[in-house]
Amino acid sequence: MAGAVGGTLLSPLPWKLTDDAAIWSQNWFWRPSPARGEITRKPTVCALCEGGCGVQARLVDGKRAILLEGNPNHPVNQGGICALGAAGLQFLYAPYRIAQPLKQTKRRGDPTGFQPIAWNEAVGELAKKLGQMRADGKPNGLAGITRRRCSSMDALLNQFFAAYGSPNLFKMPAHADSLKLAGAVTTGREAPFGCNIEDAPYILSFGAGLVEGWGSPGRMQAAFRRWRQGGKSAAKIVQVDSRCSTTAAMADRWIAVPPGTEAALALGIAHLMVKDKLYDAEFMADRVFGFEDWTDSQGKNHKGFKFLVQTDAYTPEAISKLTGVDPAKIRELAKEFGTQKGAVAVWGQPQGSVPKDMYNELSFLALNALKGNIKAGGAIGLAPEVPLGALPELPGDPSALKGLKQLRLDLASSQKGPPPVLPGNNLHGFLDAVSNGGKYPIEVMLVHEANPAYGLCENKLFQQALTKIGTLVSLSSYMDETAQQADLILPIHTAFEGFDDVIGIPGAPYAYYGVCAPVLKPHLNTKAAGDIVMSVAKQLGGSIAAALPWASHEEYLKKRAEGLAASARGALADKKGVELWKLQPEEAVKPNYKDGADLWKKLAGGACWYDAPVDPLKDLKTESGKFELAAQLLLAKGQTGDDDQVYLPHFSQVPPRGSDKDYPLLLVTYQMSALADRDLANPPFMTKTVFDFILRQNDQFVEINPATASELGMAEGDSAVLKTPQGEVPVRVHLYAGARPKVVYLAQGLGHKAYDEYIKDKGVNANGVVEVQLDRVTGLGTVWAARAHLRRA
Amino acid sequence: MKEENKSASGKVVGGVVFAVGFIGALVFGWVIGPDLLYSQKAQPINFSHVAHQDTTCEDCHAFRPDGTYVGIPKIDKCKECHESQMGQEKSEQILVDEYIQKEREVPWLVYAWQPDNVFFSHAPHQAKGVKCESCHRPVKEEKVVPYFYENRLTGYSKSTMKMVDCEKCHAEQNGSNNCEICHK
Amino acid sequence: MSDTGHSEGKLRYGMVIDLDKCTGCMACSVACQAENNISFRADESNKLRSITWMEIYHLNNGKGYPDYQFAYLPRPCMHCDAPHHSPCTFVCPVNATTRDERNGLVTHIYPRCIGCRYCMVACPYHARDFNWWDPAWPKPMESMLSPEVSPRMRGVVEKCTFCSHRMMKARSKAYLDKADLEAVEYTPACAEACPTKAITFGNIRDANSEVGKLIKDPRAFRILAKLHTEPKVYYLSGHEWVRKQADNVVKG
Repeated sequence: MAGAVGGTLLSPLPWKLTDDAAIWSQNWFWRPSPARGEITRKPTVCALCEGGCGVQARLVDGKRAILLEGNPNHPVNQGGICALGAAGLQFLYAPYRIAQPLKQTKRRGDPTGFQPIAWNEAVGELAKKLGQMRADGKPNGLAGITRRRCSSMDALLNQFFAAYGSPNLFKMPAHADSLKLAGAVTTGREAPFGCNIEDAPYILSFGAGLVEGWGSPGRMQAAFRRWRQGGKSAAKIVQVDSRCSTTAAMADRWIAVPPGTEAALALGIAHLMVKDKLYDAEFMADRVFGFEDWTDSQGKNHKGFKFLVQTDAYTPEAISKLTGVDPAKIRELAKEFGTQKGAVAVWGQPQGSVPKDMYNELSFLALNALKGNIKAGGAIGLAPEVPLGALPELPGDPSALKGLKQLRLDLASSQKGPPPVLPGNNLHGFLDAVSNGGKYPIEVMLVHEANPAYGLCENKLFQQALTKIGTLVSLSSYMDETAQQADLILPIHTAFEGFDDVIGIPGAPYAYYGVCAPVLKPHLNTKAAGDIVMSVAKQLGGSIAAALPWASHEEYLKKRAEGLAASARGALADKKGVELWKLQPEEAVKPNYKDGADLWKKLAGGACWYDAPVDPLKDLKTESGKFELAAQLLLAKGQTGDDDQVYLPHFSQVPPRGSDKDYPLLLVTYQMSALADRDLANPPFMTKTVFDFILRQNDQFVEINPATASELGMAEGDSAVLKTPQGEVPVRVHLYAGARPKVVYLAQGLGHKAYDEYIKDKGVNANGVVEVQLDRVTGLGTVWAARAHLRRA
Repeated sequence: MKEENKSASGKVVGGVVFAVGFIGALVFGWVIGPDLLYSQKAQPINFSHVAHQDTTCEDCHAFRPDGTYVGIPKIDKCKECHESQMGQEKSEQILVDEYIQKEREVPWLVYAWQPDNVFFSHAPHQAKGVKCESCHRPVKEEKVVPYFYENRLTGYSKSTMKMVDCEKCHAEQNGSNNCEICHK
Repeated sequence: MSDTGHSEGKLRYGMVIDLDKCTGCMACSVACQAENNISFRADESNKLRSITWMEIYHLNNGKGYPDYQFAYLPRPCMHCDAPHHSPCTFVCPVNATTRDERNGLVTHIYPRCIGCRYCMVACPYHARDFNWWDPAWPKPMESMLSPEVSPRMRGVVEKCTFCSHRMMKARSKAYLDKADLEAVEYTPACAEACPTKAITFGNIRDANSEVGKLIKDPRAFRILAKLHTEPKVYYLSGHEWVRKQADNVVKG
């Protein structure tokens, strides 16, 4: 025994075993060990939002994507990335991705009812159903909702719906909806306005969430970097906002106003500019219609904006009463804005997901018109069209025409009150018509990349409509709230696995086109949405198949790029230092690509195409041939009212539902750059960065002013119930001195009922308690505030 | 006397037992044990370095421009020459049939494998004139790849270099021994 | 060695964060998580348990509506450069965390860490986090793990490394290109991601480098400078109320 012990001790074995045991203890075999390999980067364009940022995926051996970085050569974001982009691969590898086509075999919404189905069967089933509807002469029974508004996929869906014969294709609501119509009213062109904000020396922002995103987060952050170079304020930012938002905190000056009164302040400033002759008189005289009194085609005289804005309603004292801003401060602002060369007024939400009231749009445009901003070389322009290859002409197939002759459901079914004179993308109106048993039934609804069951303001409208819809077909990558309700799920690639594109940057005046190229092969049994639509069209055959003649989605995009090359316009930004904001309107940009194939190769390699802005006043298609402050289009469309202000920018505020007594507070929701919103769930990386005064465990906090809290007898962290006429949700209270007294603020992007343990049941869904008001002019669902009540839980 | 004898013989017996135990343990500890500790694994394909003498080392084991080292090349590298079979060797046939045509990577067993927490870069070692052979076996004349010995306890290769060896050399060569130099 | 215990050298990696440019977009923090295989859990709202190498703080001027103002303050590890030791390296009983005398990085070896958490107590910046649980990723997300940083295990402390693996990669390239090792430049993931370029990184001992110039800016300050931990992360702010909070003490 002793010998064995001695011998063992003299041999290396015990020491070796001890050492090995130590090593063993350091290597926890259940901990994942990332496979090593060559690290490469693949540039592409991000499609998580519409911002058009250039990104590059870092890959291991070309097989695993480990990080998304900004592309330093890309002119939009110039190397930076937002939190959503940096966490973007968590969508690619999300556990809640849908791995194969699924069919609901039990009751709608039953998660156990989903059964895998082969692709050809799934597509065949959909094609058969659609074929039957057409044979029955009811193609208008097809409806669609898509998230992607600035992409060729959107054009493809439009083509499919037109060829099939349904007028009922909608997009998730966006600020661009109302901006486009404002463009139509003032310039005759249905294009959204853009702002050359990068070079503006003075920015008067009416609640625009500039640093929170404002259409393109990558672009805005890069602009902010320019404004704040070297500790100096190259641009003075004045933020008009009810809450101390990030933009308000980062601004040089924050003007606190009650929610919804931003346009009143804008008109108050306009009043003083007109009164003190601080406006661009030459511009107003030569290029603007309706500043002075005007006569319509019937010979009837109307008052002009100059008269209206000088009425008592817009004096500093009157505006002060509305906004609480001291008259002296309003005078000071008006003087600053009026005299500062190049000053520009901007407006709109961070992620631009809510349309605005038409008169709001017109008021802010009026302020810019007074500055002479809306002209070639001015800060405000119209988004130029991108001359992509056109889609085939539709042959005018009788079955399709029959369906298209049917009015869109929201217009066909009478609503409460008269129909809007200038209808836009009225998804809310449509859903309302469906749930009230509209003029004709919707048998099939396609939802593409959108999650209206969660992300639509007043989302219960979607739920109500769903009960009246025959079949819900989801084209989604994720098992989100909407996909859960689907009868058939056709899972699509994420932007990192298939081709896609971005046409134009929201809020930018220059032309832009970017192609999202796959960075790696799909790892699930998914397809490109375009390919799915094309194969349905093929099965339907005839004129529908002819309308979508491409072999694949990639082929289609190539053809689009070929068309772009054929225009011989614009150039590719394939190296550092392209400054898009320096482009002059109508400037001839020299193409730096050889042909369509060359352009496509470079686009697919992550370079973007750009072209100069257009002169917003060139070839105006308005009745007067001028920029119309007095909207003759509204007159022509039959807009009536007691006085002439219905044709002019003016301040009007539709009071929210409910009474002051039952709901003494106002609820305003806000977007944060660190919380994904609407159609995408917050990835776990981003959830980690959410402050514990916004979310603690599963409790979401509302922000209230300490004074309001003491009136309500509430303290920091108290549990409460937030009630609006739309519903009530449990919340906790965070005392925030940046919150306006009597207003409750709730962050958007939480409160999901789908996905996984990292997302589900965290916080409350703001979309369920906000209130949508249909704009009387356009019918668009606008949101500004809901009356609210907060009580102790 | 008897008792003494007894005790003397007992001592002898005891000594023998002790010696047997001692020697046995030594033999076990030095020779058998260490072998038992490792499992012997064959490489998936017999790679003959000799058969590749028409190429230079750098053709396969090169630095990438970013300073990282290729190590054992991937299947795409093999494919450059072995797209279809060139010779009669059985191992080549396996390479072509099982890996190149099926687009699979060869699961080579790496003799000098280091765990995840170790960062090793070839570039500075090469720059300091460290010869490949000081850490890897000489392979130039090698026709048959040796077995890979895997430690049953730790899963490490028998040839995995230990931290103490790294540290010693770094100390001698006035290299840094701070954490981040070798750990990630 | 100089009399302060520092080796003489031209190299001290440091960071300058311009708070006037920081919009709190969280891209730095997210990029850091992805770059460094930082684990996450279903509930991340307990900030004492949550692992965040780049944590963003929310500072405010203490005033009421509408004079209220706030600023974001991103906080990586300060990579303290105090003579002989940083607070954390001084207390580590097993030498698992050390400061590199040649470049100033404070780094940490996970397998050596015994999880005693003295370093967390010692760190005045709360820059260190402890792995209270086994790091676990949803299965498909294991594909996102970077091989350039090793995943940690339960029971060890971790913190920002200034992306030392990126430095090591840059040094490898310098060796290959026969370039000057003391002139090696690299960018950590946070600075690279920052869309407003609020984060600048480089050699603070090089007066001509961007960081070298920025730390002489009149807006520059460091957090808790009076502790003489010599943090190598500098901040810039034009707001006095922000700068004041950097040296705040708990009022007793």
